Amino acid sequence: MLTGQITSAILGIAIAGAILFLVRRDHLHGPYALWWLSVAAATFVLGVFPGTVGWLGRVSGISYAPVLPIIVAVALILLRLLKLDIDRSRQERRVRRLTQKLAILERELARLGGTPVPDDDGDDS
Amino acid sequence: MSTVFRTIAVPVAPPRLVAFNPPPLQAAHCLAVIPARNESASVGAVVAGVRATLGCAVLVVDDASDDATAARAAAAGATVLRLPLGLGAWGATQTGIRYARRHGYAGVIALDADGQHLPATLPALFEAQARSGASVVIGTCLERLSRAKRLAWWYLRTLTGLKLLDLTSGLRLYDGRAMDILAAPEASLLDYQDIGVLMLLARNGLPVEETPVAMRERCNGHSRVFASWLVVARYMLHTTVLCIAQLDAGRRSGRLRHAVRTAC
Repeated sequence: MLTGQITSAILGIAIAGAILFLVRRDHLHGPYALWWLSVAAATFVLGVFPGTVGWLGRVSGISYAPVLPIIVAVALILLRLLKLDIDRSRQERRVRRLTQKLAILERELARLGGTPVPDDDGDDS
Repeated sequence: MSTVFRTIAVPVAPPRLVAFNPPPLQAAHCLAVIPARNESASVGAVVAGVRATLGCAVLVVDDASDDATAARAAAAGATVLRLPLGLGAWGATQTGIRYARRHGYAGVIALDADGQHLPATLPALFEAQARSGASVVIGTCLERLSRAKRLAWWYLRTLTGLKLLDLTSGLRLYDGRAMDILAAPEASLLDYQDIGVLMLLARNGLPVEETPVAMRERCNGHSRVFASWLVVARYMLHTTVLCIAQLDAGRRSGRLRHAVRTAC
């Protein structure tokens, strides 16, 4: 019969394995893998050492300790989402500047090279 | 060592306030930048008007239009840049500013393609620039603002501390200093060309001057920024957040300019 500890330990190892597999197959970018491996490690630790939850509960003053992993998990998800938005903003800035540069360079190309090839494949946006 | 350096008593005058007055912008050295999206009906006339009045180079930035805007602009004698993705009025204007810097223009005069800004009023901007030495001159027309807009502007003015009256006028003359700041990546994520741009200029201590000019009612269609109440609400909310993040932008500019002047 599986106890909660064993389930959590298996889960942690499984997540770590999946992440490493994704990195090996180049589906997941390296720096993001570190984040997910930490998630896997935390799952493993909290599972194998259930006393940790109780200790964290006492230290943080949260009366119902088992809700602590859930709170921490939600906080980490929110942080991750925030990081996603920050990254997306950065990408948006880069895309805009590239678009501008492209238009300027196309013009220079036209000026230098005579008649340009008409751009009617229509798949830019 | 003490023989090398001797203390000499020299009467030093207290630092004088030196006004930094750059040479006035000549229209011939500037580039007229006209961002345009689906304005084929009016862009030709605007380009012809600018060329006739100022005699400067004209650049039309076609913001991914579906119609013949680019063709009409080219036919009227403008250089045309075509953006493959729509970036909005500010994105297109910034493209023009980057182009101007790349090609060594001394300044950029930005105006709309819909005929609202009259080419005959452009020399007034250059006169105001020569008079005041400001980095940016905005052509204002307060009569065109509705009651609701005036209220909104008052609200935004109070929030930012910007002392300007017409916050969304697209008729502007930018000099080299302003071009340097507005071509930078810092200015690339501004979604509306008014408040964000003005606050960025204020943060950098650039003097901005306003001069009243005549404007015509829009030839075709209504304002894109204020197309519906929902859009207005989103605009006000978005701008409020931006302003709260930089509450002292307008006030900082006054202090910075004072500091710069006394330092010279």
